[in-house]
Amino acid sequence: MNIAVNKTLAELAYDGMLLPHPRLEDWKWTNLRVLIDRPYPPRLKVAAAPKEIERLLKRDPLAKLAQARIVFVNGEFAEDYSNLPTDGDVRVRHHLAPITAEAEPVLDMNAAFATGGVEIEIASNIDAPVAIVHVATDGEARTIATRHRVKVADGASATLFETHLGEGAYLANSVVDITVGANAKLDRVKLEIESSSAIHLAHAVITLGANVLLRDFTLTSGARVNRQNGTLAFKGENADGKIAGSYLLSGRQHADTRLVIDHQVPKCTSRELFKCVMDENARGVFQGKAIVRPGAQKTDGKQSSHALLLSETAEFDAKPELEIYADDVACGHGATSGDIDHNHLFYLQSRGIPEAEAKSMLIGAFVGEAFDTISHDGVRDVLTRFAGKWLVNHKEEAR
Amino acid sequence: MLEINNLHVKLADEDRAILNGLTLNVKRGEVHAIMGPNGSGKSTLSYVLAGREGYEVTDGSVTFKGEDLLELAPDQRAAKGLFLAFQYPIEIPGVATMQFLKVALNSQRKARGEKELTTPEFMKLVKDRAQKLDISQDMLKRPVNVGFSGGEKKRAEILQMAVLEPSLCILDETDSGLDIDALRVVADGVNALRSPDRAMVVITHYQRLLDYIVPDHVHVLSQGRIVKSGGKELALELEAKGYAEFTKEAA
Repeated sequence: MNIAVNKTLAELAYDGMLLPHPRLEDWKWTNLRVLIDRPYPPRLKVAAAPKEIERLLKRDPLAKLAQARIVFVNGEFAEDYSNLPTDGDVRVRHHLAPITAEAEPVLDMNAAFATGGVEIEIASNIDAPVAIVHVATDGEARTIATRHRVKVADGASATLFETHLGEGAYLANSVVDITVGANAKLDRVKLEIESSSAIHLAHAVITLGANVLLRDFTLTSGARVNRQNGTLAFKGENADGKIAGSYLLSGRQHADTRLVIDHQVPKCTSRELFKCVMDENARGVFQGKAIVRPGAQKTDGKQSSHALLLSETAEFDAKPELEIYADDVACGHGATSGDIDHNHLFYLQSRGIPEAEAKSMLIGAFVGEAFDTISHDGVRDVLTRFAGKWLVNHKEEAR
Repeated sequence: MLEINNLHVKLADEDRAILNGLTLNVKRGEVHAIMGPNGSGKSTLSYVLAGREGYEVTDGSVTFKGEDLLELAPDQRAAKGLFLAFQYPIEIPGVATMQFLKVALNSQRKARGEKELTTPEFMKLVKDRAQKLDISQDMLKRPVNVGFSGGEKKRAEILQMAVLEPSLCILDETDSGLDIDALRVVADGVNALRSPDRAMVVITHYQRLLDYIVPDHVHVLSQGRIVKSGGKELALELEAKGYAEFTKEAA
């Protein structure tokens, strides 16, 4: 459904493709027709100097943690900067796989404009993490779209990192389609630290087989506008999926996550946990929907989102939705928001810890529960340090 | 070391005065006890000295080591050597005790221009101090004060004091909620920190604590000012006669 109105400049540059209207329920907090305030032409080639690319790649906090790195520069696979996995049980193919999920605005845009992607197949227990790094170099405003497919075979296990960063004004559209086979295990960590003038639109389609263990964590701290969709479908019994995330937002940043957890079979466990920190005029949105299909008995689904608002003008909106068509299930949701506890702050300061550092410790404590979803110790440490420095860093940048 | 002169304090958001011209002089090496009934302003005094927000000083001055204490942020006061042992120590979920202690100690050292402690140096220091206070490694592994019993919290406060080695310790009702054994452990910990270079202000409702931490001076606080001062025998007199006698004098 779309509502007939005059096309925006951005829409005209998209060959007339329509952006989602805020009257669509899922898009009411993120009005792309206004937020995408100028044309971002697709398939525009921007030249990038190797030095610039190397400099940006070094900025990836996860750079040293993955031997295997698949690098995309401005939406194109960059073989020269990549370290492809050497293990024969990790197959990487440069290939733009078709979209399998139901139509949706972010997916539609990707289907029309994606320029690069890989298909990764993991056949056994792979300890070494595989990273996909997306870099956008400074240049003309443009749409950069990538699409990847990841298949974790039955009984296999994998750790997947995804980083998105860049410079300048661009719109990044990122789609990943992940299938985890029966008895398999996947740890996925996504880090969104795009340029502060970028727009990041993403959609992750995740399908789980029986007895799967999934741990998925996303840290959202870059981009002026961020919208991330996720669909998690349980297709085999006794699977356990957790999707967690944190926002660290300041200035006028806007981030909106919309998750749909689809329990199609009995006896699966799902957890959604978001711990979001907003400072200054930033706005965070979390929309979580759980569907329990008829017959998906013994479903155990819980959703919670918590916000820490560091200023009076910061905002957080949470919308939980439950659609339950089975009678023997345990589903629940909860949302809270509040500011820093002044008793905590005073206690830390009274022991000699300066205010900014004390606040950073409390931010770290707040997001810690979500960060605990990350199984990889090295990544958890790196991202915890990132969160610990975030407050001081963004205040300095603003100066 | 600490000179409080004619201190008047009210709550920031209402017109109720809590301290009404309090004057107190504490010299190096001295232990002062401040006793008073509920509502006499004991806790307010400790919070104002530590720099908690929510209070407004309307008159008077507080000088600490020759500097205007009221001008300093709470962390600056701590780095200068002031320590408040809280009546109700705060639980901070998600902040590890050891990390908290290390950041606190090194922040203070940094502010004073001293060399920061390395992790092994710090671990050794804490282990040594914790042993003396009967604090287990397990307690140190937990988040700050989380899941501690009342007695454990008070011991943890004294541990922080022993690690941070302040020059002025303010103990706010450190005896409250302690049974006699816990009281002895805490008092031993405090007494071990007595030194000619360190001053202490012990705020308490009951005389009992002063059997263990013997003060040089005792002051009676009533309606926001000191109405009587004396030696340690004053505490016993208070215990025998009750506060009413002294507060009458004040009125």
